[in-house]
Amino acid sequence: MKRKHLIISLLLLVAAAAAYTGLSPDQTQLQAADQPKITVMNPAVTSKMADREPLGPRLDNLEGKTIYMVDISWGGPDAARVVFEEMTAWFAQNIPTVKTVIKRKAGMYSQDDPPLWKEIAANGDAAIIGVSG
Amino acid sequence: MGIPTLGAAGDNVVRYAVGYNFQYTNGMPIRYIGIPFPVAGQPREVLHSYVFDRNDTLSGKPMMKAVVDALTAPPTPEEKISGQPPEAKAEPRFLAPDTADNLQQLFKDKDWTDYNPIILPTEEKVKEMLKGTSQPPDKVVKVISWPGGNRSLTVEKVAVCAVMAGAKPKQFPLILAVAMSVPFGNSTSSMANMILVNGPIRNELEMNYRLNVMGPHNEVNSVVGRCYTLMSKTAGNLHSGKTTFSGLGSNIQYNNLCIAENEEALPAGWEPTHVLKGFKATESVVAVGTGWSYISSVGEVQLKYPVQNLIRDYMRSLTGMGATVIVTPETAGLLRDAQGFKTKRDLSAWLANNVEKTIGSYWGNGVISTMNTSMALQGMEPLASQLKADPETMMKPFQAGQVNIVVAGQGQTTWFVTDFGVGRGTRVDNWR
Repeated sequence: MKRKHLIISLLLLVAAAAAYTGLSPDQTQLQAADQPKITVMNPAVTSKMADREPLGPRLDNLEGKTIYMVDISWGGPDAARVVFEEMTAWFAQNIPTVKTVIKRKAGMYSQDDPPLWKEIAANGDAAIIGVSG
Repeated sequence: MGIPTLGAAGDNVVRYAVGYNFQYTNGMPIRYIGIPFPVAGQPREVLHSYVFDRNDTLSGKPMMKAVVDALTAPPTPEEKISGQPPEAKAEPRFLAPDTADNLQQLFKDKDWTDYNPIILPTEEKVKEMLKGTSQPPDKVVKVISWPGGNRSLTVEKVAVCAVMAGAKPKQFPLILAVAMSVPFGNSTSSMANMILVNGPIRNELEMNYRLNVMGPHNEVNSVVGRCYTLMSKTAGNLHSGKTTFSGLGSNIQYNNLCIAENEEALPAGWEPTHVLKGFKATESVVAVGTGWSYISSVGEVQLKYPVQNLIRDYMRSLTGMGATVIVTPETAGLLRDAQGFKTKRDLSAWLANNVEKTIGSYWGNGVISTMNTSMALQGMEPLASQLKADPETMMKPFQAGQVNIVVAGQGQTTWFVTDFGVGRGTRVDNWR
């Protein structure tokens, strides 16, 4: 008798839950499909970009070339500088005719440094700039 | 420079650097190598192994082969492309018609929201918002130039975001003034912002500056702060993993500490923050400052340890780039009447003179080190002397002008120490 009451109670509970939602699954899908379409404004802003320039020519090889290594001081005085010193050591072992010049850029990492760029353009064959992180 | 150039970046940011935004910003693609991360803080033997034994994290080649190749390999067909990049395509003024549910999802898919539901910006709602100002819809509020390209944030685009955030037209002039400081902080650190409102606009809009001023208990504080986030993400084009790359991010960027000063409860002699910045007391001003963190006093003021001493102690943990101390009126009253600080400037000067930390601790912060190293090595004092000094030497990280005092809240002698600056300030009335 108790089991029968329990089953009836559960059935009533299920029926009540179904009544509470008010919609069968089929009806819910139908309602979503019936939602009217609306038009809204676009929050994204058009990016005005510089015309892209092709990458300049590369060197045939690094033999006898001068490579400037520009430390932007990201992370303090001992980050990029040590990396560039180790790169210099690698060149000394592997392409000894390469001359490296390690320079620290003036000002904060994001500030321009025209005198340094002028020096590199006049005396360098290539440049490595970094190390950000 | 006219010579082959190679960018070297840590693996944590190098993929952002080679992403489309950066690739076209300067008009020319840039070749990069990816260095294993971290670089700063590593001993030489680790950095030696990066160069001699490890691979470029972008190409997978041995590091120095990647360097040589980047300087010598001819340009690829993609690197020879000229003209406008596809990302410069004009954004349409309207989105394609769709159901409200689908549009809510689209805004999330585009990463244009804070992932809470938005009010969909129909033309009607945007037009209604624009009634809150006399400014023309196409007026440019700010040109955002980083990351990637120049994006003109117009009055209409601000109105779109204001609708999305749930703002009302009467709040629009304040939002336009805030828009001048878009976008929010974007850094590998947890940079964030604080929006501080002063003047009559606080009462006109019924902003909260009393109880629970820093909590979610006021519509205007909430909506204006949220709108700054939405503008930053849309007009600022800030998308995690593409154009923002903070290691931890900041929960502050949900509301951007949007508060107003409790000017009515300032102790005698203590002037509102905007007055100390040169504005008239009758002007409505919003200032957006940059910082990272804030620390609560937790408990109330105790007689046995003067409050300024505890504020001083807490401020020792800040970087030293700026500070704003937010105190309740009751704390301000004690500082004035019991401790003798007759003005905010007195307190600022005392804190600047009494907050000390070791040089090692000051320079041990990566942001300080990154920003100041070049100047120190070029001889700028006192940075140059600090860099050479014993790391245990004590130094004063703040100048009086860097320490702002804001009075807000009510009902307890509590306070916050923050490393936020207070921006220059913008007159809200300019945007009516």
